[in-house]
Amino acid sequence: MTPGTSNHDLFENLRLELRRGSLVLAVLAALRKEQYGYTLRKTLSEQGMAIDEGTLYPLLRRLESQGLLLSEWREEEKRNKRFYRLSADGKMILKQLLAEWQSINSSLSGML
Amino acid sequence: MELVDRYLKAVAKALPEAQREDIIRELSEDIRSEMEDKAHELGRPLTEAEQQALLRQHGNPLLLAARYHQDHRTLAFGRQLIGPVLFPFYVKVLSFNLGLTFVVIAVIFIALGASGQKVGFNNILTTCLLQLLIQLGVVTLIFSLIERHLTKNPDRWDLSACGGLRLDVKMEKNITLPIDRSQWISRFESASIIVASTIALVWLTGVQRYPFLILGPAAAFLKLAPIWYQVYFPIVLLTVAEIVRATINLVRPDWTLFRAVYSVFVHCGGLAVVYFLIKASSWVMAVDSAAGEYARTVGIVNQIIYYALLITGIFSTVMLVVRVTRLIRGPRSHARATGVGATAKEGN
Repeated sequence: MTPGTSNHDLFENLRLELRRGSLVLAVLAALRKEQYGYTLRKTLSEQGMAIDEGTLYPLLRRLESQGLLLSEWREEEKRNKRFYRLSADGKMILKQLLAEWQSINSSLSGML
Repeated sequence: MELVDRYLKAVAKALPEAQREDIIRELSEDIRSEMEDKAHELGRPLTEAEQQALLRQHGNPLLLAARYHQDHRTLAFGRQLIGPVLFPFYVKVLSFNLGLTFVVIAVIFIALGASGQKVGFNNILTTCLLQLLIQLGVVTLIFSLIERHLTKNPDRWDLSACGGLRLDVKMEKNITLPIDRSQWISRFESASIIVASTIALVWLTGVQRYPFLILGPAAAFLKLAPIWYQVYFPIVLLTVAEIVRATINLVRPDWTLFRAVYSVFVHCGGLAVVYFLIKASSWVMAVDSAAGEYARTVGIVNQIIYYALLITGIFSTVMLVVRVTRLIRGPRSHARATGVGATAKEGN
């Protein structure tokens, strides 16, 4: 393995790590408005936070089991879709996370 | 949308059972919405090639399903040997192998104890540890090789492997035939049978040469009866026949009728072996030097083997009847379901 490749792999790992935390925040923020999986994926992608369904759906399930999201199957345009929205706990946690994120952001801005 | 169904079916096979239906409903909705969006953009329905390309973007079904597993355990010695995708399968195979081996060991030690022979704790411990090491080594080696292949080629998967869809020229010519592709044999299943049968073959050869692999320390005073040496070749032949069948179905997953007929013949062969085994009435013997001392132990072990063979024979006969019935009824019911007079023509 060349040093270039190794550095590239290292960067990729760190980038993914950084992105993983931000994804939760992005998903919670996007679900302030009720959406089903595919439209949520499109919204995130349009906002520059593209996420594949293999990451998104397990994440949605995890957030739901943690009580941060609510979901229900409903018919729309003659098709059954699962709609997600923030729960009351989810709204509270999102507020706290956003404050944390803003604090980290301003600290980093001061350092960089 | 047949391609989507095939892809989802492949994902479903590797999903946790409790959530399977729910996850597949949601994934199905996601993929179909994406396809509709794309078709709307193009102003026409997607071609099969475009559908394939889109599904390819969703990734290997096995890897996609693995994301839903809560179990993220891996096996690592310095570097990762078995990742979270294969780990659940690895544990299942290892548990099955070890379970089977420990049942055999338990039968022997119970028979020894019941016949009044001295059974040392050291003997039990040594036998169990030896079996644990052998099984652990072989199964881990095979799974780490599969893991290596999967890691090196994450994108090397084919929609035809998802239960077998071939879009070659030959199939396109036959496109008007009522072929039920959902019945095609999964290549994952065929590959698993090849691996499992090969392990069984290696083990069979090993047991023939080194009876301690199955008898443990009891091999010092017990030996396999001549019947095992008589049925050894037919058993090897049946195992090889299964490997050949699975290899053919790996290349031609659409040969479902071939598998159904072939399996009936292999099953009959297996039943014949069980019949000759039951007829033998003696399956383990005491070695010459211990004939008198271990006569009672031999009697108990043989009694247990007799009942195990009898149960196997009954179960196997029922399975054979079910298979033959399905084979006879299968094409008729399919013809009724599709509303055609002729049965669905298969690839063979």
